[in-house]
Amino acid sequence: MTNHLLLVAGREIRTQVRTKAFVIGLIVSVVIVAGLAFAPKLFDGPESFTLGRVQVAELPLKTFAPDVEFEWREFADEAAAKTAVLGGDVEAALVPGNRVLTDGEIDDELGLLLQSANREAQIGASGVTITPLAMESVGADTRYQGARRGIATVLVMVLFFMIIGSVMMVAMGVVEEKGSRIVEILLTSIRPWQLLGGKILGLGVIGLINMAAIVVTGLVAALLSGLAADFPPGMTGIAIGSLIWFILGYAFFAAFSGALASLVSRQEEVGNVLQPMTLLLMVSYGVSFFASADPTSTIATVLSLVPPFSSMVMPVRAAAAEVPIWEIALSGALMVAAVAGMLALGAKIYERAVLRTGARVRLSEVLTGSKP
Amino acid sequence: MLDISGLRKTFQDKVALDGVSFAVRPGEMFGFVGANGAGKTTTMRIVMGVLSPDAGQVSVNGVPLGFAARRTFGYMPEERGLYQKMKVGEQIDYFGRLHGLTPQGAAKATAELLERLGLTERRGDAVEALSLGNQQRVQLAVALVHDPEVLVLDEPFSGLDPIAVDALAEVLQERARGGVPVIFSSHQLELVERLCDSIGIISAGRMVASGAVDELRSAEGQRLRVVVRDAKPGWADNLPGTLTVAGDRETLVVTGGDDQEILRAAVQAGRVEHFGAERPTITEIFKEAVS
Repeated sequence: MTNHLLLVAGREIRTQVRTKAFVIGLIVSVVIVAGLAFAPKLFDGPESFTLGRVQVAELPLKTFAPDVEFEWREFADEAAAKTAVLGGDVEAALVPGNRVLTDGEIDDELGLLLQSANREAQIGASGVTITPLAMESVGADTRYQGARRGIATVLVMVLFFMIIGSVMMVAMGVVEEKGSRIVEILLTSIRPWQLLGGKILGLGVIGLINMAAIVVTGLVAALLSGLAADFPPGMTGIAIGSLIWFILGYAFFAAFSGALASLVSRQEEVGNVLQPMTLLLMVSYGVSFFASADPTSTIATVLSLVPPFSSMVMPVRAAAAEVPIWEIALSGALMVAAVAGMLALGAKIYERAVLRTGARVRLSEVLTGSKP
Repeated sequence: MLDISGLRKTFQDKVALDGVSFAVRPGEMFGFVGANGAGKTTTMRIVMGVLSPDAGQVSVNGVPLGFAARRTFGYMPEERGLYQKMKVGEQIDYFGRLHGLTPQGAAKATAELLERLGLTERRGDAVEALSLGNQQRVQLAVALVHDPEVLVLDEPFSGLDPIAVDALAEVLQERARGGVPVIFSSHQLELVERLCDSIGIISAGRMVASGAVDELRSAEGQRLRVVVRDAKPGWADNLPGTLTVAGDRETLVVTGGDDQEILRAAVQAGRVEHFGAERPTITEIFKEAVS
C-alpha cells in the first residue's frame, strides 16, 4: 500500500521537475542567494584612498586601517592640490594649517581615519604614549550578533516563501484532480490518504530540493566571497536545522492546505478556501520576523515552542541567538505531534470532501457528516 | 455476475434512486438507458464507490462489493478525468501501476492498448494536445489497462464520430467475449440496440424495464404494419390500429386483431405494398416505458 503512495509521489516529482517554472525558479533562487553573499563586497566603500599633501608629512593612516590601501601624492602648492581634488584625482588633500581640502563632504570613514591619525601624530610628537583600551565581555558572546541577525532575517524570508510556494502547489494539485474528476478514477484504485500523502511527499521533495539549493548555494557563496569569516560558530547546524524545520512546517501547512482545497472544485476558489491556512502562516511569518530582531523577547520564546508557529519562529530564534538545547528538543517534539495530528485530520477531511464535486463543501458538514 | 439490488439515494430532499435493481452476467453487454437526470450516473457512481447508497447494495458473484474488488473494475466517469499535461503513454502506464501492475506489465499493457486504439504515434503528446475523440480513447485505455474484471462506462460513446464509435465498440465487444460484464450508459439507442445483449431502462430513479433485448422486444407483442397505395377512402374505419397518410400511401399499424381480416380489407382497398409483422425497436420500447 505504501507503494501506491510512492507512485503518486513519483508522478508529482517527475511532473514538477520537467516544468520550466521549476528549472527557472531554481536558477533564479541560486543566482539571488549567491548575489546576496557577494553583495557586501560590491556595495562596501572603496578599499583604497588616494590622498594629496602639500608641504606636510604623511599621516600614519595604516595604523588605524590595516586593510585599506593609501596612496599619497605630493603637490607643489595648494592651488595644484585644489585642482587635483576637484578633478577627482585625489579624494582629499592635506594642506598646511591643519586643513583638509575636499570636493563636497568627505567620506565618513576617511574623515574618521584622518582625524584619528592626526590626533595620534600630534600626541606622539608631544612625547606622550597612549595605551589603547582592551575590550572584554563578561556577558553573552555578542561578537556575532550582527551576523546572526542578518542570517535570521534572510532565513525568515526563505522559510516563508518556500513553505507558501510549496503548499500552494499541493492545494492546486488537489483541486486539479477534484475539478477534472480524475480523482474518481484514482480513488477506485487507491485510498484517499495515499493520494493526498503521495502528493504532499512528492511536492515536499521538490520544495526540499529548492530549499537545499538555496542553503547550499548560500554557504558555498559565503565561503567563496569571504563572508563566511563573519559567520557565527555552528553555522552548519543552523543550516541543517532550517532544513528539518522546513520539512516539519511544510508537512503541517501542506496537510492543512490539501484538506481545505478538497472542499472546492475550481482553481478560482483556492485562494478563498485557503484563508485560514494563509492567515496562520502570515502570523508565523510576522512573529518570526519579530523574533529575528528580538530573539530573547517573551513572545519569541513562547511562540518558538507552540506549533505551528514554532516551525518558523524556532529556527529563526536559534539562528539569531543561543537557544538551550532542551527548548529546541521540546519544540521539535511538539511540532512533530502537531504534524501527525494535522496529517490525520487533513486525510479525514480530504476523504470526506474530495468526491463531493460542485459547490463548495462546508467544513462543518465534513467534520460532522459521513461519506457522500 | 454483477448484482445491483434495491439502490436508494436521496440528495437533500430529491430522490435520485428509488429501488434500482438489475444484474449483468459475465460476457454480457448491458446498455443502461434513460433520460437526462433519470439516475444512470448516480447508479454507476454508487457501483464504483464514488457515492454510497442510502440503502441497497452492489455485489459481485454474491459477495458485497468492497475496495479490493472494485480495484479490478475499469471505470470511465461521465465527466472525463485525465491529467491534461501528462503524456498519453505515461498516463496509461501510471494508471496501470496504480491498479497494481508491475512496471513491465504496465508497459506491455500500455503498448498494446495504444496500438489497439490507434494512439501509438501520439504516445509522447500531452493529453491536452489531442482531439476530443482521441482523448476519449485515452480515457478508455485508462479504464482497460489493468485488464478489468468488470467494466463500468458512463456515456463512453458521446461526442465520437461513427468511425471512433465502431473502434470503441469493437474493443468493448472483445472484452465482453472474454467473459467481462460490460455496463455502459448511452443516449444513442440504435447503438445500444446494435451492441447490447440486454438493457435496462431507468426513469425518474426507477427501473421501468430490464432484461434481454430479444425478450423485451417480443414481450411488447407482435405488431402488424400494412402499407396500401391508392386506397379507397375510409377503408380502415372499421379496423383497429392507427392510420397515417403520406401522399397516396396509407400505413396502418395494428397491435393484436385478426391479421387475415386486415389483409382482406387491405387487398380490397387498393394496392398492398407491404404487409408484415414487426417487433418494436428499442427506441419505441424506451418511449413507451418512460412516457
